Amino acid sequence: MIQEIDTATMGVLRLALDAASLRHRVIAHNIANANTEGFAPLRVNFEDQFDAVRSAIGQGQPIERGLLDGLRPTILQDAPLDGGATAKVALDMEVARLAQNTVHYQALLRGATKHLSILGIAVTEGKR
Amino acid sequence: MDYSQAFEISASGMTVEKLRIDLTAVNIANMHTTAGADGTLFRPLRVVSRPGAQNFAGLFEDGSESSVYKLRGAQVFAVQEMTTAPRMVYEPGNPSADATGFVALPGVDHVSEMVNLIAALRAYEANVVAMNAAKNMAVKALEIGGNQ
Repeated sequence: MIQEIDTATMGVLRLALDAASLRHRVIAHNIANANTEGFAPLRVNFEDQFDAVRSAIGQGQPIERGLLDGLRPTILQDAPLDGGATAKVALDMEVARLAQNTVHYQALLRGATKHLSILGIAVTEGKR
Repeated sequence: MDYSQAFEISASGMTVEKLRIDLTAVNIANMHTTAGADGTLFRPLRVVSRPGAQNFAGLFEDGSESSVYKLRGAQVFAVQEMTTAPRMVYEPGNPSADATGFVALPGVDHVSEMVNLIAALRAYEANVVAMNAAKNMAVKALEIGGNQ
């Protein structure tokens, strides 16, 4: 039972929190370089790596810890525009992404707290 | 999460934008200054920024980030003098006037200076927003496992 404390849920939450914090730094970096000539904005690739986890859940299988081993947020450069010119930093879009990422981060934290409170119920034998 | 790094990134952006605003102020302040005693005319100044350079210690820390891109914010690469032609204004009474009565004034473009000022101001504000967001995230992370 004790290994259930460190479940796949906590593993996924840990990865997702790391990804959100990296995404925050990437967006801050883009904003810091908003007026830098020739700077191509950076992006974080993370959610696309969850296909294996999603299909496992879709087939009703438990998420094995091994499925999460290779997952790691990576930084990409924004794709060039149609004409081949480097993409530019759009300040409004970056701030919108920043707000979205902050809310996402707080939602993940809420999820972690809820998950731990379920364990808390078990510890207190269901008593309040 | 290394919050100090998030703050440093935003702070570097603010430093660059502040210099941009300072130089805009210098350009506008010198809009009507004639050539000094040494005969050189003021030239409008521009900041050239670039993504922050890798410091030596940074080469050894990798962590979860891709080793290709390092997140170091922005830094000032150079302050460039623009090569705009001087404005010639007819002022025969001015001590700096040439033989034909024209005075050379710096080629400061009022409109582009104002556009740069607003753009730098908005970018500065966006950096402040990013810094506050990092602060909020850090405070919220302290509440993991706290009371509901």
